[in-house]
Amino acid sequence: MSDLVLELDHLSIAAPAPLAAPGAGPRTIVHDVTLQVSAGESVGLVGESGSGKTLSVRSVAGLLPAGFTTTGAIRVEGHDLAQLPKAELRRLRATRIGMVFQTPRAHLNPLRTIGDFMTEALIAVAKERPDAARRRAVDLLAEVGIPDPERRMRQRPAELSGGLLQRVMIAATLAMDPPILLADEITTALDVTTQEEVMAVIADLRKHRDLTLLFITHDLALAGAVCDRVAVMQHGRVVETLNAATMRQDATDPYTKRLLSASLPGEVSAERPTDAADPVLVVQSLRKVFSVLSPKGRREEFVAVDDVGFRLEPGGSLGIVGESGSGKSTTARVICGLEAADAGTVLVKGEDWTKAARGTKARRHRARIAQMVFQDPYQSLDRRQTVRECLSEAVAVHRPRASRVELTARVDELLTAVTLDLDLAGQRPRSLSGGQRQRVAIARALAADPEILVLDEAVSALDVTTQVEILTLLDRIRRETGVALLMISHDLTTVRRVCDQVVVMKSGRVIEQGPIADVLDDPRADYTRTLLDSIPREGWVPRRRIPTRTASLPAVATRATRIIPAESVAPESIPRRGEKT
Amino acid sequence: MSVAQLAGGRVPRVARRAAQREWLFIVAAVVLLGIVVMALFGPLLAPYDPDQLFVGPSNGAVSASHIMGTDDLGRDIFSRVLSGAAASVFAPVVVVVLSGVLGATLAVVAAWFGGWVDGVSNRIIDVIFAIPGLVLAILAVAMFGKGLVAPVLALSIAYLPIVSRLVRGGARAELGKPYMAALRIQGVSSGAIAFRHLVPALLPMIIAQSTIGFGYAMLDLAAISFLGLGAQPPASDWGVMISAGQASLLTGAPEQSVFPALLVVVTVLAVNILGARVTAWAEGKDS
Repeated sequence: MSDLVLELDHLSIAAPAPLAAPGAGPRTIVHDVTLQVSAGESVGLVGESGSGKTLSVRSVAGLLPAGFTTTGAIRVEGHDLAQLPKAELRRLRATRIGMVFQTPRAHLNPLRTIGDFMTEALIAVAKERPDAARRRAVDLLAEVGIPDPERRMRQRPAELSGGLLQRVMIAATLAMDPPILLADEITTALDVTTQEEVMAVIADLRKHRDLTLLFITHDLALAGAVCDRVAVMQHGRVVETLNAATMRQDATDPYTKRLLSASLPGEVSAERPTDAADPVLVVQSLRKVFSVLSPKGRREEFVAVDDVGFRLEPGGSLGIVGESGSGKSTTARVICGLEAADAGTVLVKGEDWTKAARGTKARRHRARIAQMVFQDPYQSLDRRQTVRECLSEAVAVHRPRASRVELTARVDELLTAVTLDLDLAGQRPRSLSGGQRQRVAIARALAADPEILVLDEAVSALDVTTQVEILTLLDRIRRETGVALLMISHDLTTVRRVCDQVVVMKSGRVIEQGPIADVLDDPRADYTRTLLDSIPREGWVPRRRIPTRTASLPAVATRATRIIPAESVAPESIPRRGEKT
Repeated sequence: MSVAQLAGGRVPRVARRAAQREWLFIVAAVVLLGIVVMALFGPLLAPYDPDQLFVGPSNGAVSASHIMGTDDLGRDIFSRVLSGAAASVFAPVVVVVLSGVLGATLAVVAAWFGGWVDGVSNRIIDVIFAIPGLVLAILAVAMFGKGLVAPVLALSIAYLPIVSRLVRGGARAELGKPYMAALRIQGVSSGAIAFRHLVPALLPMIIAQSTIGFGYAMLDLAAISFLGLGAQPPASDWGVMISAGQASLLTGAPEQSVFPALLVVVTVLAVNILGARVTAWAEGKDS
């Protein structure tokens, strides 16, 4: 076959022996992967984290960590990478292969402008003149749908939102006109609407440039929607390669079926009769304003939350959905006392929580009522503490006189409640998987027997299969303990699985709220419909939308933190771009 | 089937380096132990009275009876090195500990409270930063008289901004991490957050800075003694000996300067190797 542009032929990848046991020999992580991609084809590589999909692709780009070895062959346009002389190999990788990564912000130098970044390869590798390189960079930025590219060229990464940065990365990758594009989880860090925009860009590029795409994701539905074929990986092996259009019918492997069911829109959870009990949480016309630094260095106000109100019944579950910058996380942080509200009230069991708790005693009192689970469990756990130390500390806060035996018993109880193996109690977060870490974080939040559990994007960083496990766990815990859930998420699918009520937010305001079935099945607001349409599914075609003003705030905003809005352009100044059909 | 080794065929490069470090670490630990013994029991080990003149020839070469030779006044250099060890080794330790504890405390307090507390502490640090350490030491000597106490205090203050700036940055970064917010929401007391979570997180940084600071303090103290403001004759430390040996150095008898200088270099090196290791250990618990 002559039109095979990328071929993995029985590729195996081995990690070096661990330092602790040098005698053990290298561990094979990827086993015998064979994958063929023809010119212009788009192939998805799907699997949970640790399945070896990223390593496989990195080996093509020559980005394996030091000490990793490969057996088998990688052929790019017929050239075996192992046989090529070094200079030739570098040239091939520089000009024929482009790679885009998950976290664009981490791959860009924060001190250099977008223009510097875009023109670097053109000047250094393609030897273009600076002014020509600059013109080409502007063209490329326009091609990936970045509004006002001239101005973007002068900006730095901090001034651009995640979706725009990912487009910059794609544009920079296109600079060398590579026929092959490797995309490694490029939309995982983005919310659904931004994901749709980025995928629309990719779809356009494929149409106009005849790109061959190897698309890595853990989201089978997304891969199925944008790829021609999908290879499913588990434990370092390709378990199945399916035609994307018919994968639902053709799937035979149990793992693929599990992935497929995980990405199905779950059943709307059976609604509970809303009894007349007093709500445990009432939020009324909440407003939060951050003082931010405009690009010109002036102070200006950024309204993160504006006139937001909702109520949460005891034992109920409420989802707040919206894209990043919609103010949903800020709302959660105000409720938990991490930020002070500027106006409005937060009533918890009749107490006024509008002001952030001052002093240990007040915080301890609130801790007994409301607890929070954060997005990234690795960062929300102290990495120096073992699981047991962490949970003991959380228990001891509320039982200062408990004996060691009582603490141990309670920690074991918590570990059992979140279905964690007791043997893991001696581990530190770094040796746990993402799902296990999040279970520890949930166990820690449950230590106080809270009445409200606030989940701030608690499953967004996890694989689809792990997501389902955690959501099922949360649902069970809610039914067993009667804790009320307040779930912040950009993902409507996860909210649908767990919540009875939903609040849709955009730019700090509530767009729509009501029972989950009413809102998600029969949305009244256009924005809710847009969110629903952005979810990848069968027959989904990503569409470009008019870029809206979304400013993402840093995770922690203290008095001393100066927040620079991601895009501080008046919406009118953005040239409108017609939707492509 | 072809065999591709895309990323450096020799696998255990990292492992080899670790093994080398292990060996270096043992040597450094033994050397440092020897120096501490010297500092503690120096006078007892000395073969001669360090201040006794003309126990041997003037500027005598290395010999069996004088293993480091004798100085311009015929004193035994080895005995003098031993008796000066305490001042030379312990003074920098005091400087490092004082500046480390004060600097880190100031930094943590500033980062914790922020606002005007942070502002005031920053301005204080700025002012201290503006004065060179040696000038401060000379000033202190002028105020409190010659001897080791004044320079040690002066250097402790002079080193404070370096530790403080570094630790403040680290503390602010650490306080911004989600786990700090999580601890607050759990109702963990402020004291527990500070001492059980924040300080341990900063410890590797403080230790690393301290070992570098030790080297500088030793050299700075030697320089102060060299200027005649530190230890006063006939008492000596290694800095004084290096300075006193200048004349002999020019006449072709380098022993008086070379041996103490060598010890300064060896000590600083050993402390740095050990410090790197301790830092790695403290970090290893979390990274």
